[in-house]
Amino acid sequence: MVSAINSGPDAAKLLHSSQMTPEKELHDAFGITYEQLQKVIAEAAQGTAGKQGFCDVFLQAGSAHAITLDQEVIKNASSAHVNGAGVRVVVGDKTGYSHTDHVNTTNLKRCATIARAICEHARENHNLELKESREESAHRSCGYSESGADIFKPHNLYGNEESPTNWDLKEKIALLKKMDRMARDFDPRISNVSVSLAAEDYVIIIATSRGAIFADRRPLVRLNIACQAEENGKRENGSSGGGGRFDFRTLLEEDYWSDHVLIAARQAIELLSAEPAPAGEMDVVLGSGWPGVLIHEAVGHGLEGDFNRKGTSAFSNLMGSSVASKLVTVIDDGTIAERRGSLNMDDEGTPTGRTVLIENGKLTGYLQDKQNASLMKASLTGNGRRQDYRFAPIPRMTNTYMAEGTSSPDEIIASVKKGIFATTFGGGQVDITNGDFTFSATGAYLIENGKITKPIKGATLIGNGPKALHKVVMVGNDVALDRGIGTCGKDGQGVPVGVGMPTIRINGITVGGSKN
Amino acid sequence: MSVFEKLEDIATGVIEKARRYGASESDVTITTRSAVETTVRLGEVEKLEGAQMRGLQFRALCGAKGTKTASSSTSDLSPQALDKLIKETIATAEASEEDPFAGLPESEDFAPDYLRHNFALDIFDPEVEHIPVEKKIQLALAAEEAARQADKRISNSDGASFSDSAGVIVHANSRGFLGSYEGSHVSISVGVVASQDDEMQTGGWWASNRRFSNLEEAEAVGRKAAERALRQLGSRKVKSQEVPVIFDPLMAGRLLAQFVGAASGAHIYRKSSFLVDKLGEVVASKGVTIIDDPLMAGKLGSHPFDSEGLACKKRTIVEEGKLLTYLLSSYAARRLNTKPNSGSLGNLYLQAGDSSPEDLIGSVKNGLYLTSVSGPGFKVITGDYSLGASGIWIENGKLAYPVSGITIASDMLSMFKNIEAIGNDLDFRSSTSSPSIKISKMTVAGQ
Repeated sequence: MVSAINSGPDAAKLLHSSQMTPEKELHDAFGITYEQLQKVIAEAAQGTAGKQGFCDVFLQAGSAHAITLDQEVIKNASSAHVNGAGVRVVVGDKTGYSHTDHVNTTNLKRCATIARAICEHARENHNLELKESREESAHRSCGYSESGADIFKPHNLYGNEESPTNWDLKEKIALLKKMDRMARDFDPRISNVSVSLAAEDYVIIIATSRGAIFADRRPLVRLNIACQAEENGKRENGSSGGGGRFDFRTLLEEDYWSDHVLIAARQAIELLSAEPAPAGEMDVVLGSGWPGVLIHEAVGHGLEGDFNRKGTSAFSNLMGSSVASKLVTVIDDGTIAERRGSLNMDDEGTPTGRTVLIENGKLTGYLQDKQNASLMKASLTGNGRRQDYRFAPIPRMTNTYMAEGTSSPDEIIASVKKGIFATTFGGGQVDITNGDFTFSATGAYLIENGKITKPIKGATLIGNGPKALHKVVMVGNDVALDRGIGTCGKDGQGVPVGVGMPTIRINGITVGGSKN
Repeated sequence: MSVFEKLEDIATGVIEKARRYGASESDVTITTRSAVETTVRLGEVEKLEGAQMRGLQFRALCGAKGTKTASSSTSDLSPQALDKLIKETIATAEASEEDPFAGLPESEDFAPDYLRHNFALDIFDPEVEHIPVEKKIQLALAAEEAARQADKRISNSDGASFSDSAGVIVHANSRGFLGSYEGSHVSISVGVVASQDDEMQTGGWWASNRRFSNLEEAEAVGRKAAERALRQLGSRKVKSQEVPVIFDPLMAGRLLAQFVGAASGAHIYRKSSFLVDKLGEVVASKGVTIIDDPLMAGKLGSHPFDSEGLACKKRTIVEEGKLLTYLLSSYAARRLNTKPNSGSLGNLYLQAGDSSPEDLIGSVKNGLYLTSVSGPGFKVITGDYSLGASGIWIENGKLAYPVSGITIASDMLSMFKNIEAIGNDLDFRSSTSSPSIKISKMTVAGQ
């Protein structure tokens, strides 16, 4: 039988994290015992004695699979197998980190020795109040072996019965071909279609110097389609995609994939007749869902704990101040079932949570990892994340969105005399320190006298984080998260995230078109 | 046995096994690397990271015509793990479908023998792996200190880092290619914050080199970072207008990479680039000559062969404004029915002109000196370009005041055709480098 490559331990049956026994996973995936791992932690913790610090080991095993159909042929079917671990030692605001691509006790001990070298540079008095989650302290007081899953109830957010790495190759190829066919049938001007599927599944184990050990099993699937259209020598493209931590069979449902095909194909065709965007300050309506990338860039990054501890964020020292119009409430929520940005626990073992960052315009919260929460004497929020075992965790977003208001989307568009309506975005970027953010619309329309008139292209929007959201004058009643395609980059680490927003109207934002 | 011989042994073993397990063709790349990063902030060590990494990438071509492809990667190089990986990858390829263009390069296109075994490109410095930790910390501290002492308005720091890495790359395929080389890399980077009233601006700078002894002085890197932060203080918006824009070398290099990226074979055969059907045509102004040279001694982008084992030669991509070649992997070349010349870039640069940067600025009555861009607003298929921008406004030939919160827009072909003057300030700070360039007009959006 040929199915997808079996990868990672026990790929056939996916256990929910509440059913996982960390000790058993550790042994099955990495061939080491908890006692051996505790010795590694003891080695790493040596230098922290007398200094306020902690250490942890993050182990990751599993695989990622991808397959692409492009120009009507199946390109490379690829798989990446991972089995690695990182050892971290934290003393105050200082961090030592080392990782290995090949887990065994010898390599882990070498990592411990490298990571603890940071202790030589530690100050004696850090005035650090070590933060730990309820779950970690429960482990500490009761001991690991007795606690199991009973002391705390970990989230159970992933909707998988079976590992997505079990997905049959033939079934994937059939889906890719159906999507390609449908896109080409949509319009004769569709000249190329590129479709890809990705599936990953990792076992994560985190063991801490406080005697806690946690395990999680993280599946993630994703589908992408890009359509290219051509007419009279003019070419354009459009794309769509979605995914999350749910069963891969969802992607096979016609309602699911055909929606993405239509969005991508329509966008490509529509852009063929799009005019260049105007340039200058104007009123902008942003559609619900993926345009929430505005929230991610304009405020999300600036509220991550590390920048605020260091005082390098445009939002530093603004806690409690008004940073947006009263209509604006912004939330980061890592606990939404099956979402791409959701996790049962963050990459330090803290359960993810729901953090209100801005409430009715007022700054109310930061996103924290253990180190920054400890240094800022703040609570843990479950936002300590890392790309993989090769990186130390830092504060990161999960699913970040603006809460809904009361206006209907139609009423919002009708309220604009002259402006633009932007519905899809390529992504964005922010300068954390001066607060300037940029994000680029791939699909947008002109609004004239309250009506959507014609498609435009090349609209980059630019604004300043602590200022722009004061100009939000209407918030819709149609909040939605994106379809599950976002990857956020920070310090060279990419992590899957979600963004979201209702339809909003924002006045006087600079639009960077080429039509003067 | 040297590390090269050991890794070459593993690589040829994988190829041999793949043949035995039924692959028509296969190739394998093994990389090992040790890397250390030493970070300081506000005069103290903040982070020490170190690791030894390794990885293997394997590709199997199967089926009657050898055109069903699958690939896989692992960091477990044990014989049992590789055996399993090879079998599974072959099984996946067999279960997949034919791509008539899949395949390995022809052996006549391989890098020649003398380049295959650690050819002396001067890209490896044995000293790199033996720099004492204290020395690295001292250099990072010196860089940050120079930045913080540059001006009393430097109020905070994102830190300074010293990074070093060294590693080996081995590539082998079933058509008899076997090659390996080692390389090293050191870099120093600084980021500081300048503030004035309620405003904060960051400035960063870096230096990197293959050789430790050639690395730029730490203090100079720090001073430049401070200067970049300080000169943005007092930033304001300007009105929307059409003006000349001077790209500083950093921004010009970024633009060059985007332009040449559109010449990549994958974009051409997919017709997803504004450079489709432009071979032999004028795509830039007469002064523009763009060269890629992977064989320059000691440079950051130098390598003796590419990821398929293809020969790497100096090539002129654009000569006096005319597009001479695309960047063709063996796959892209088969798609386009032509010969490959490597899909990867080595040291890419725009040939220097004869204007000094001061002359360029002096030639502008009202315009933008661009020092930073942001956002993803460049579309390869159309060449449409619209990015967030900041820099310094030029009035009557002089740098007048900093600007931010604006955007610049045009399309890539017009931009390159409108390159009116090219600076004489080319250095090889990155693997992609350009002197300053002056683009005669772009749309600035502001107030």
